[in-house]
Amino acid sequence: MKKLLLALFVVVSLNSCVAVKEYEKVNINDPDMKLAEYSVDRFKTNFQIYREGASGGNGGKAGGGCGCN
Amino acid sequence: MKKLTLITILLVSVVTMAQETNENSDTSYKKRVLETPEVEFLSSYYTQDGDNASVTGGIGTEKLTDITPTIVITYPLNDDDVLTVDVGISAYTSASSSNVDPFDSSGASSGEDDDDDDDDDEGLRNNYANNVTGSPWVESSGASAGDVWANLSVTYSHSSDDRNKIWSAHASVSSEYDYFSIGFGGSYTHLFNEKNSEISISGQAYIDNWLPKYPTELDTYVEVDGNLNSGFFQGITIWDQNGNSTEGNELSTWSPVNGFELIKDKGRNTYSVSGSFSQIINKKAQFSIFFDLVKQDGWLANPMQRVYFGDRDNYYIGNPESIPNYTSSTNKNVFHLADDLERLPDSRFKIPIGARFNYYLNEVVSLRTYYRYYFDDWGLSAHTANIEIPIKISDKFTLYPSYRYYSQTAVDYFAPYEQNLSTQEFYTSDYDLSEFDAHQYGFGISYTDIFTKMNIWKLHLKSIDLRFNQYERSTGLKASIISGAFKFIIQ
Repeated sequence: MKKLLLALFVVVSLNSCVAVKEYEKVNINDPDMKLAEYSVDRFKTNFQIYREGASGGNGGKAGGGCGCN
Repeated sequence: MKKLTLITILLVSVVTMAQETNENSDTSYKKRVLETPEVEFLSSYYTQDGDNASVTGGIGTEKLTDITPTIVITYPLNDDDVLTVDVGISAYTSASSSNVDPFDSSGASSGEDDDDDDDDDEGLRNNYANNVTGSPWVESSGASAGDVWANLSVTYSHSSDDRNKIWSAHASVSSEYDYFSIGFGGSYTHLFNEKNSEISISGQAYIDNWLPKYPTELDTYVEVDGNLNSGFFQGITIWDQNGNSTEGNELSTWSPVNGFELIKDKGRNTYSVSGSFSQIINKKAQFSIFFDLVKQDGWLANPMQRVYFGDRDNYYIGNPESIPNYTSSTNKNVFHLADDLERLPDSRFKIPIGARFNYYLNEVVSLRTYYRYYFDDWGLSAHTANIEIPIKISDKFTLYPSYRYYSQTAVDYFAPYEQNLSTQEFYTSDYDLSEFDAHQYGFGISYTDIFTKMNIWKLHLKSIDLRFNQYERSTGLKASIISGAFKFIIQ
């Protein structure tokens, strides 16, 4: 039953992925809908890289630099 | 199950084929990738404090301030190509790294007592040989107390005529007093399904080099070939755990761990491959999934960071009366001599994977979410979740409340102050690699003027972004950061 529901979910999700036309992307093109960090947040990400053991996966650099302090 | 998988694959194929029939249907009009040159002035002010400084073996002040002025210039070379130059510095002062040399004469080593009793002070000073002291709880003023990190990064990107393919290449160089890094890489992005779907792959390499600075006592020990009656150690009394002088009894005084040596391999290289897929779900929602594969090799430990072992005797320089209170912040004048530098494996493999999901709720409110799972072969795994809710309060102003949760397990080699053992191959007391969770609360505001009416000379103001974030870690570390960005177009 669970597998069936999962398959149903996948099918519904795929059906919902009908291509949105350029003229219909006014909401998607809103700057706040961008699938990336804001440029002003780069410093916040930098200190998180230094203060936390995990890094990467955020569009920022995944290595390099000392991070000594 | 096989049938279900088959059906799913079939459906994906059909949907993809149906959408690809419309591909390249909008190439009649070629818009410039970037209409006008842009310049963005960014800066941040960061402060932190805590009680687990890694330079002093997991205890001591972590006080740090950092200011980061940065300029990013984005210049359209022609209709298809854009050049981005990113120049920035990071000027910091750090109590923790100042204690690479905690005995600096103008800092903690001045023999200052924190009470006002002059007679008592005089008596204490007479007990310190040569008046040399230090403390993990007091900021020294050695050469490492402050520095400037400088970075230059150049990125060139090219877009195809239909804007469905984007290539980019970048190179960077950064330098600070104990580190030098050169990086380069490239990426390829492909948009399809009428730009509803996007696949991107990128690769990066950083070829880095330590210009290592070591804890004073360890560096000097090598320099004087273990002779504690010469160099920095000449005339200085070393005290044992009970506050007894070890002077004249060289066999039972301090030395680093057996076989101690400074770092041999000064290189540290990082190679990464990143991939992402993003999809517009409908007129109001889109998501992306992404991963990195990161390989590091070379000297991955930090040569400035001390380690103290629980199975070795302890020795101190400074006021022997403060030894019983060594781990308390009331200790202002005695310093524990290190057993060793931090030692970590010479390779690390890291994999972060994650997703973003953004939803346009209405004309006022949007939802931005982020999740990442991370794991590596040092035993560290971490979860990161972030939510941000942009709220448009007018056509020009937007508010940005946000919350971020982070948790990680410790690396296999972490133990607190005095809890590592000298029999281990690898060890660290760096609390950035310990088990903890962290909460971050943020608030921001932005001003956007699409008509760029305000101008200074040829710079027309496009947007202003301000952010404040408060970060609180379960280890006790607290940090706050204020960031600002002013974006102009050049006309």
